[in-house]
Amino acid sequence: MKTFWVLVRRNMRLFFKDKGMFFTSLITPAILLVLYVTFLGNVYRDSFVMNLPAGLAVPEKLLDGLVAGQLISSILAVSCVTVAFCSNFLMVQDKALGTSIDLRISPVRPSTLSVAYYVSTLAVTLIICLAAAGLCLGYTAAVGWYMSAADVAKLLGDVVLLVLFGTALSSVVNFFLSSQGQISAVGTVVSSGYGFICGAYMPISSFGEGLQKVISFLPGTYGTALVRTHAMQGAISELESFGLPETAAEQIMLALDMRIRFFETPVSEAAMYLIVGGATAALVLGYVLLNKLKKR
Amino acid sequence: MENSIIEISGLCKAYGEVQAVRDLTFSVREGELFAFLGENGAGKSTTINIICTALAKDSGRVCVCGADIDREKERVRETIGVVYQGSRLDGPLSVWDNLESRAALYGITGAAFRRRLEVLSERLEFRDILRRPLRRLSGGQRRRIDIARALLHQPRLLILDEPTTGLDPQTRKLLWQVVEELRREEGLTVFLTTHYMEEAADADSVIILDHGKIAAEGSPLELKNAWTGDHITLYGVGAEELSALGLPAEPLRDAFRITVPNTAEATKLILAHPEIFRDYEITKGCMDDVFLNVTGRRMEGGEAK
Repeated sequence: MKTFWVLVRRNMRLFFKDKGMFFTSLITPAILLVLYVTFLGNVYRDSFVMNLPAGLAVPEKLLDGLVAGQLISSILAVSCVTVAFCSNFLMVQDKALGTSIDLRISPVRPSTLSVAYYVSTLAVTLIICLAAAGLCLGYTAAVGWYMSAADVAKLLGDVVLLVLFGTALSSVVNFFLSSQGQISAVGTVVSSGYGFICGAYMPISSFGEGLQKVISFLPGTYGTALVRTHAMQGAISELESFGLPETAAEQIMLALDMRIRFFETPVSEAAMYLIVGGATAALVLGYVLLNKLKKR
Repeated sequence: MENSIIEISGLCKAYGEVQAVRDLTFSVREGELFAFLGENGAGKSTTINIICTALAKDSGRVCVCGADIDREKERVRETIGVVYQGSRLDGPLSVWDNLESRAALYGITGAAFRRRLEVLSERLEFRDILRRPLRRLSGGQRRRIDIARALLHQPRLLILDEPTTGLDPQTRKLLWQVVEELRREEGLTVFLTTHYMEEAADADSVIILDHGKIAAEGSPLELKNAWTGDHITLYGVGAEELSALGLPAEPLRDAFRITVPNTAEATKLILAHPEIFRDYEITKGCMDDVFLNVTGRRMEGGEAK
């Protein structure tokens, strides 16, 4: 067991000491921040104002709280997966640099090495994403706080669940990679692509119907919906207390991907947890099987 | 074979169409310095990777310390230490962190690790750089850490894959000094691949590999006797005088060199012409000559030419 923890510590140290890997993992959240600061924040703010019923007076702070909720949910939903990928690139880098041979010629079991990669990726991603969640909550508190204690607890739970999902997904994908070139290619695709397909850059509801249907098959979609629901439902409730009709609130939640339909069927929150949890379990099982079937 | 630490028979390995190792059969005796020579692509690294269980073979049998590499991998791995051509350690981590993580692979942790590190850092002279990141070390310092990593678990067999390539003379000397001490004190067996023929000349036995097959094997003396002649260097004679011998003579700066098939022939020649052989020396051919004659190519700076 000591061997296992020494390996986990080695992997974690390598991630934090490798500036390239560490900063690459923060690219996607940084892109989102820049997008929001430069224009996306204003676009959403204007969109909220335009879609409010005529005559409904909403305080500036509430609007800021809504925009902040969308910003932090996007950052967290996307970071949990992209940070996991970057952290897990260590497994590939070890193969590319020949370090994995040095590890594999020792009597340690291959399964210990594989689990150590998994656990260290999980730990690194949790540290970064929970720290990011703390910063995000601090930002929300500064601009407009409408979250209940239950919302915060659920949001942190969502982050943990999405980190588990991201770690499992990256473990399966990275299992097949073995060179620096492949790391760059997959890193670029994940960093730029995942934000779109999980609805972090733009709500899925703004995509075409066909694309929406395709995206509804991806578990990450439901992860984003959970994070967004718990980050924004307090602000939406506050809007209702200012006189926003329930149907209008429903429309806003649908437009922001807080409500997801699988084809025409609404997906409940419990079902979303089941989908993300089930996908994570399936991916972990896949990772275990891949390691078992791997030939030398 | 009795006292064999490595026994290989009928070993074959191909990468697609390329046959890297063809029907290799040889053994390495416990405690000996064994040199495995061949140009790049001759099959040395493939054989090493198979011996240390990092690569699957296609056919044949390989036993290390009596353990079959297919059936008793863990036992084999416990007995082998490998120093690769290039470092396989983690550049961003300190020397201490690197060695701590590698020692843990063999179950050496905590106080046991610190004790072992104390011994190795003393022997390989790296105590003052323990906290420095590996990537900031010079080539010679890094090589010392590679050797320490290979010796962490006190292996019975040390595989050195071109360990001195690119090293400064001081580190090269230290490396061989440590290896010799370990052989003497702990009976360590050393399996060496090198491009420096003078290192192979000190081996107990040598195998020259050519295109995946054994082209020659034996002790350096046996190889020299079988594959090179004796050189007689004559001083203080002129070309005209030498023509009486009826043998081709290579002019050197202050001398001439004649090559004869063996020492007996040299003795016969000297006794037949004492008036010519007034000031001379006889030397055997070197390992470079052996390599050249076996493979048809001379080993120069890591490449056979």
